Amino acid sequence: MDFTIRAATLEDCKDISRMILELAEYEKVLDQVKITQRDLEQDGFSKNPFFHGIIAEVPEHHKSGEGHTKVGYSLYFYSYSSFKGRAVYMEDLYVMPEFRGKGIGKALMSKVSQLGLAAGCTQMNFTVLDWNKSSLDFYLKQGCWDVTSDLGYHCMRCEGDALEQLAQGDL
Amino acid sequence: MAKFILRKAEPKDVSDILRLIKELAKFEEMEDQVILTEKDLLEDGFGDHPFYHCMVAEVPKQHQSADGHAIIGFAMYYFTYDPWIGKLLYLEDFYVMKEFRGFGIGSEILKKLSQTAVRTRCSSMHFIVAEWNKPSIDFYKRRGASDLSHEEGWRLFKIDKQNLLKMTNEE
Repeated sequence: MDFTIRAATLEDCKDISRMILELAEYEKVLDQVKITQRDLEQDGFSKNPFFHGIIAEVPEHHKSGEGHTKVGYSLYFYSYSSFKGRAVYMEDLYVMPEFRGKGIGKALMSKVSQLGLAAGCTQMNFTVLDWNKSSLDFYLKQGCWDVTSDLGYHCMRCEGDALEQLAQGDL
Repeated sequence: MAKFILRKAEPKDVSDILRLIKELAKFEEMEDQVILTEKDLLEDGFGDHPFYHCMVAEVPKQHQSADGHAIIGFAMYYFTYDPWIGKLLYLEDFYVMKEFRGFGIGSEILKKLSQTAVRTRCSSMHFIVAEWNKPSIDFYKRRGASDLSHEEGWRLFKIDKQNLLKMTNEE
């Protein structure tokens, strides 16, 4: 199947927002999405963007059942390893179910890798849910390794009241 | 003791920052993995588009460490993005030299970071901790942090440069 991979633009935020919700639904946490299309526009396309996006698009005659031509996306940003320096973090990678198995996911990931390497990054990081076997298999096949499993690194979060209290800081 | 100041790192601090990065890496038994140089830290942290931000803890000359250092702690962080909740502060490294622990320096650093997070409208602060590092895990849990790997099943993955190149060449 014919598809193109390109940088996301402001106009893509509507479809990115749609697909974020689809991905959240797949991960069974739809109620956790607070970000709106407007937030994406502000946070991704202003002078100092907090993320960058890549879109996978198919020609009109291959559009989805509901008429969409933007069928996959990846959101990424640059991060930093105190050991190795510049790194790229792939925050989201998603292809609509009816367009899977055609190399689109791999192409999106490859584009993020290219952009990361061009920016001087020496590694790419991302997280995967432990029950997501098909994704785990896909990534292991690309030569990735599971840092949580191999080194025992756990992802931690401090948010909401805990973050506010830490900022007030009397502990 | 306890006179110390926390301030934004300056270009002149890169030598101390690298020293502390290596000390922390040694504690994690990964000292040989630090390939970052002072030049990298300078370019990546103090140019037009910094890849990281850094805060240092400094003591007065009369309180400097046994081997003559006045910069005795640091935190390296950057901003990331969660498409569900927006901006986040990611804490990459956080370290206080052994002889300066127990004086509240670590707590003060964390407080300052949380204030930065709240002020820049980040909904959360994220970081990773090795599961064998019980004192650190307790330190963070006491301050309201939750373990996402444990509670939600997130696994951190990594792809190194070699495999990134392989992926970009396979098109």
